[in-house]
Amino acid sequence: MRNCALLLAALLALVMSVASAATQTVWSGLVIAENVAQPAPIPPELIRIEQTLKALFGYNQFQVIGQSRKTLKTGEEDWLASSKYFALHVDARGETEAGYVLNLKLYKENDLLLETDTKLSKRSPLVIKGPQVGGGQLLLVLVVQ
Amino acid sequence: MKTFEEKWTAWLDGELSGKELVEFEASLPDKAAAEAEKHDTHKLGALLKEQLSAHALSNEDFFSHQLRERIVRENGPSREPSLEASTWWTVRRLFLTGVASLALFVICAVVVIRDKNPGEQSQYLTQILNARVDPAVSPNATISMFETKEDKVTVLWVEGLQSLPADYAAK
Repeated sequence: MRNCALLLAALLALVMSVASAATQTVWSGLVIAENVAQPAPIPPELIRIEQTLKALFGYNQFQVIGQSRKTLKTGEEDWLASSKYFALHVDARGETEAGYVLNLKLYKENDLLLETDTKLSKRSPLVIKGPQVGGGQLLLVLVVQ
Repeated sequence: MKTFEEKWTAWLDGELSGKELVEFEASLPDKAAAEAEKHDTHKLGALLKEQLSAHALSNEDFFSHQLRERIVRENGPSREPSLEASTWWTVRRLFLTGVASLALFVICAVVVIRDKNPGEQSQYLTQILNARVDPAVSPNATISMFETKEDKVTVLWVEGLQSLPADYAAK
């Protein structure tokens, strides 16, 4: 009887782990990169790619000005990450074996600056270089967590 | 005192003699019919003796051996495994076997996925399917894309977008 309970618990854990693996969270962020004398610590979502960001863009500070964290269940959801002037609209259009098919639109107030379709992989973050903003640079970052 | 049936049987077998034989034959109502019946009985007895005698086996040992083997085949194996089966598959062993099978499956799955990856690694990287900018807003914009090897970041590099004042960095 005790063994049966153990077996049941093991099966339940397996089912729960499979179910939790099926739902993923996508973090989308509007990031301003700039060089400052005393850079603030990098946001936790960007720690994984900090060295790549610094090497590619040549800035020492990355600040999140708008973000959204969306848990995908069907792979057909859409959401918005916005700051005061910019908005990133993300429209998920299905799930593939490797990740999600997304349509991204970057707006500056009401103007559409950039549109792209992408297959966002669970293993590979996406960084988009946006417009120059003052002395810095707007970056769009999407990570499957 | 013998009954008539006993005397009849003895007469048929030729076991009556002397005075007893004379008296019995005198008591028969139809001696000719009785003699005919006696003759038939002897004939039948001879026939039965000839036909029903047991045939001697020419290969007794081989026959016995085959018979013993058949008995062992039919009785022996059918009992022992059933006893073994009922004792060996305990719940604990079933559970352990299940866990071992699951672990084996996971290992095989990991091996298969790893073998599949090297040739198709790009499938697991983020891919830019297409990208466009509004030519009216940013007429000189150019788009390129690449992947970094270290942490597999996919970059969409857009040059020539309209520069904006620092106020646009507000949260």
